[in-house]
Amino acid sequence: MTGKERILRRIRHEPVDRLPLMPITMMFAADFAGVRYGDYARDHPVLAKAQLAVAQRFGFDHVSAISDPARETADLGGAIEWFEDQPPAIIESRAVLHEKSVLDRLPLPDPLRPGSRMKDRVDGVALLAREAGSELLVEGWVEGPCALGADLRGLNTLMLDFIDDPPFVEALFDYCVRLETEFARAQIDAGAGIIGIGDAAASLVGPRIYERFVLPFEKKLVAAIHEAGAPVRLHICGNTRKIARGMGETGAEIVDLDFLTPMAEARAAMPEPQVLLGNIDPVRVLRDSTPDGVAAALEECWRAAAPSYIAGPGCEVPRGTPHDNMDAMTRFAQSRQ
Amino acid sequence: MADLQKLYDAVLNGDQKSAVSITKEALDEGCDPMELITKYMVPAMDEVGRRFECEEYFVPELLLSARAMKGALELLRPLLAASGAQPAGRVVIGTVKGDLHDIGKNLVASMLEGGGFEVIDLGADVAPERFIEAVQEKKADIVALSALLTVTMPAMRRTIEAFEKAGIRDRVKVMVGGAPVTPQFAREIGADGYGENATAAVALARQFVQAAHP
Repeated sequence: MTGKERILRRIRHEPVDRLPLMPITMMFAADFAGVRYGDYARDHPVLAKAQLAVAQRFGFDHVSAISDPARETADLGGAIEWFEDQPPAIIESRAVLHEKSVLDRLPLPDPLRPGSRMKDRVDGVALLAREAGSELLVEGWVEGPCALGADLRGLNTLMLDFIDDPPFVEALFDYCVRLETEFARAQIDAGAGIIGIGDAAASLVGPRIYERFVLPFEKKLVAAIHEAGAPVRLHICGNTRKIARGMGETGAEIVDLDFLTPMAEARAAMPEPQVLLGNIDPVRVLRDSTPDGVAAALEECWRAAAPSYIAGPGCEVPRGTPHDNMDAMTRFAQSRQ
Repeated sequence: MADLQKLYDAVLNGDQKSAVSITKEALDEGCDPMELITKYMVPAMDEVGRRFECEEYFVPELLLSARAMKGALELLRPLLAASGAQPAGRVVIGTVKGDLHDIGKNLVASMLEGGGFEVIDLGADVAPERFIEAVQEKKADIVALSALLTVTMPAMRRTIEAFEKAGIRDRVKVMVGGAPVTPQFAREIGADGYGENATAAVALARQFVQAAHP
């Protein structure tokens, strides 16, 4: 059974030979391949080479084009700070939507515009699909409505907009869904077999705002990606305990949880057959613990979430994670179903 | 007479307009600015912190309360400065060099301000030299360093090392926080304390100040 078949069978609730393994690797992958992260984020052949190398070495079932949240914002003219060896970051004080009125005339960027950062991701997906698409599931990546809204408006400002100007937030999230639908479609056309939606900012808002503003637009985005032909992995970094029930209503085939939500609690909020992924503590367990500690933490997640479960940490594998601990995660996945 | 309980309610409910108008009214009637802060605004922000910690409030509600508090503080600050009133302590805060993620730092800064501290907020991506300058210039009691990324955590260590080189390390307490930061990491880099969240940071800052001025 190939890694691709393993993941797809899991989300169709068909038998698998072992647990699928889908950790998010970015800086860890770049370090493993001996490349600087600035190059990884800028240049898709660098990203693809590192993804393929790390997936092969540690037995992952997928490769991913995720790199940083700034691609869409960069293509809309947003101010980005680049670093030699860490992810580029959006400069909030110079947000694209510093003035709300700019939204009315903000164009939808073409994800295939030559030289753009979105095109670089689409090309990365195409390269990964050519190199490994028959064996591994190729994962494209887009920002969720709340995350992209925060990227464009500024996270601090958006938090107040929810209360000060609800119609603006709805118009902003509607724009975000339209943009990300096109971006996802371009990646699916290029060979992505699944689309990850990263919506970290949604973990900050609490259940009332999540259900009123975020969930309806996440549902729309998930439905649009399904229509374009791919399943969805929804990843919300941070504490999602109070919004977990809503995450299970988005229609995403995989809900990928950060470590702050105990897996048993997540399973109670999102009953079978929702597939759950995660969620050992990436820093305190995966990076700083021992191989036995990693296996024990994964065992706890698996017991709480199985059978509809995929192994992985709660968030990105941190830079500096010992290879022995990564091997322990792989061995665990290979020893369970 | 201004109903000062409404000042407490306005801060707690994030109603900036009411917080400002009640404060104006109270000042016009000759209320003591320090009393408005210590009896109404600090307890309101303590309650905001409590609600945040037990997940009744989330980031939008906390920022809204902080905005209401700041609106009232704008009116009170000049009067406090003129009267020579001292804050609970002075805290220099910022995200460390290379880290542009500032919402956690902003929550901590707001809660410290709500706790009666004077907060010198250096913003995001702050080089060690800027922390040192601010400590020296403002005679700060505490420095609060924030990092969201594992990759920027080493900048916390470099900042503390720069304090040592500049000869100011013994003059300030250093507290650190941020999603990937752990108490163990705080000890390893020689910080004086670790705050898991904004309310813990306020409690820690109060401990530092009380230990220095028992």
